Amino acid sequence: MRKIKKQKIYLLALLLPFIIFVIGFEIGPLVAMIKNSFYADDGITVTINQYITIFKSKFYLSGIKNSLIISLVSAVISVTVAVIAAYSFTKFSSKIQNRLLMIANMTSNFEGIPLSFSYIILLGNNGLFTLLFAQLGWDLFADFNLYSWTGLILVYVYFQIPLAVMLIYPSYQGIKKQWKEASSLLGGSKASFWFRIGIPVLLPSIVGTFTILFANAMGAYATAYALVGSNYNLMSLQIASLVASDVTLKPQLGSALGVLLASTMILAMWFNERMMRRIRRDLR
Amino acid sequence: MSYVTIDQVTKSYDNQVVLENISLTLKKGEFATLLGQSGCGKSTLLRSIAGLEGVNVGSILIDGKDITNLSPRQREVGMVFQSYALFPNMNVFDNIAYGLKMKKVKNIKSRVNKMIELVDLIGKEESYPHQLSGGQQQRVALARALVMEPKVLLLDEPLSALDAKIRKSLQKELKRIQKELDITTIFVTHDQEEAMTMSDRIFVMNKGKVVQSGAPSEIYTTPANTFVAKFIGNYNVYSMEVFHKLVRSSELKGDEVAIRPEVLQLVSPGEDCPDLQENWGIKGVIKDVTMTGNVLRYEVEADDSYFHVDYLHHRGLMFEQGSRVQIIVPKKECIVL
Repeated sequence: MRKIKKQKIYLLALLLPFIIFVIGFEIGPLVAMIKNSFYADDGITVTINQYITIFKSKFYLSGIKNSLIISLVSAVISVTVAVIAAYSFTKFSSKIQNRLLMIANMTSNFEGIPLSFSYIILLGNNGLFTLLFAQLGWDLFADFNLYSWTGLILVYVYFQIPLAVMLIYPSYQGIKKQWKEASSLLGGSKASFWFRIGIPVLLPSIVGTFTILFANAMGAYATAYALVGSNYNLMSLQIASLVASDVTLKPQLGSALGVLLASTMILAMWFNERMMRRIRRDLR
Repeated sequence: MSYVTIDQVTKSYDNQVVLENISLTLKKGEFATLLGQSGCGKSTLLRSIAGLEGVNVGSILIDGKDITNLSPRQREVGMVFQSYALFPNMNVFDNIAYGLKMKKVKNIKSRVNKMIELVDLIGKEESYPHQLSGGQQQRVALARALVMEPKVLLLDEPLSALDAKIRKSLQKELKRIQKELDITTIFVTHDQEEAMTMSDRIFVMNKGKVVQSGAPSEIYTTPANTFVAKFIGNYNVYSMEVFHKLVRSSELKGDEVAIRPEVLQLVSPGEDCPDLQENWGIKGVIKDVTMTGNVLRYEVEADDSYFHVDYLHHRGLMFEQGSRVQIIVPKKECIVL
């Protein structure tokens, strides 16, 4: 008995750095953020005015709206592409599959300022391709503006797709060949297999990936900052300017926006989970 | 009139022949078993009948119709897999109803309920596969195949993932349902006891060929070659030269002799050998005794050869390890191969 107890203490001791890390870097800042959001700009008076300010301000509301739209659109595009791409991965030999995954892994980590600069160099106003296409007389990119909403979506989708592929790919391994065979013997077509069995089985993974992509896009800061600076009104850019700006520092208001950002993510997670359970009744 | 005809079917993967010139016929309502060791081609043959694998040469006919080049869903065959292959996102009812929905037939509910009753799963309609035991899952898989009223039911080692007790009861159940529906069934197994219990006819396969076919008792009592003798009945098999030395007689002619372990008798060396006209007597020593429940198996050494002798397990051991004995070999039970 004593031996077991001692062992447990050792194990708990090993866990201690992790616990300290979680409290110090995750729970601590979260609590501080929530607490700060209920203070006035002076940092002394307790109030809900920061939230009222946000909900009354067209500027902040449009920031929230823009962030929500860009996150939803980029997540939907990325998940759709990734579902098809990950499936096509499974059709290659395992050697090629490993290579493809390696590329996906690399590109999914290629984000932030380097990614934005790559895009600026290639597709910016004086970008390589922009100039090349202009020289060749192709007006393919004539109306394309990298520093716009479309440009932002393109860049977001670029790093979201490989991440989505990496997350969805393993669940294709869970689709058993015999389900397809059973379905075809019972008169089902390929489409009916995917519609009635394949996609529902993949659904938890698709929904989970969608939630991660949505959160990833909502919180993306460096990429957007490097690309559009303050020209585009996004929640993450606003929070940054409120807590780390050279001009107006309003950390309390920034915290309130941060709480709203976190709440949308939680809401999205909850909503996705509910929708999924409606379709996959066996997971209840 | 044959209902299922497999005519000179050959199949190979990467220059390796998996099925070699296989021909067999089945009557309507027959329960046939493809029996063989793993890798002998039995599952490939079954999958070829289902249309899940193509064949290089030969044809497959069901009810007079050539189905060789038809897709699985056009073949009107039902199949039950070893791993059940139930759709995990559907409950029992929906799993069974899947095929009917695909065919857009009417009165799905009553047909599914009838099947649920047949496989004794009333009350489990709303359960999902992960909530069922292995035996129950296999019943669902069976119902899902049967509800389509297939012309032929294909069973690919459907009981091998189950424990012994459930396996035995499902064997009986399967046989009952097969008789009740009078459905032509092809069953694949590597278990000779299972094949014996269930089949009207057994096709023993080895290295992509059917090496013997016949009723279970026929296969068991008159194996056509050494492989069948060893695989089917744990026969004692000896080369003729060795056998001549053992019995001190060259009465039998041929290459090999096979003797079933249960036809041999053991007597004490002092006892007389019963009727020398009908039997041979071989002196030996008991090397080992193993008990498999109702059977006692003696391993007897005689002139560097070993005999397995099976006795029903009556109370107590007849002979101890190390005892000197005489093996009585009935002449008429020696099968020359």
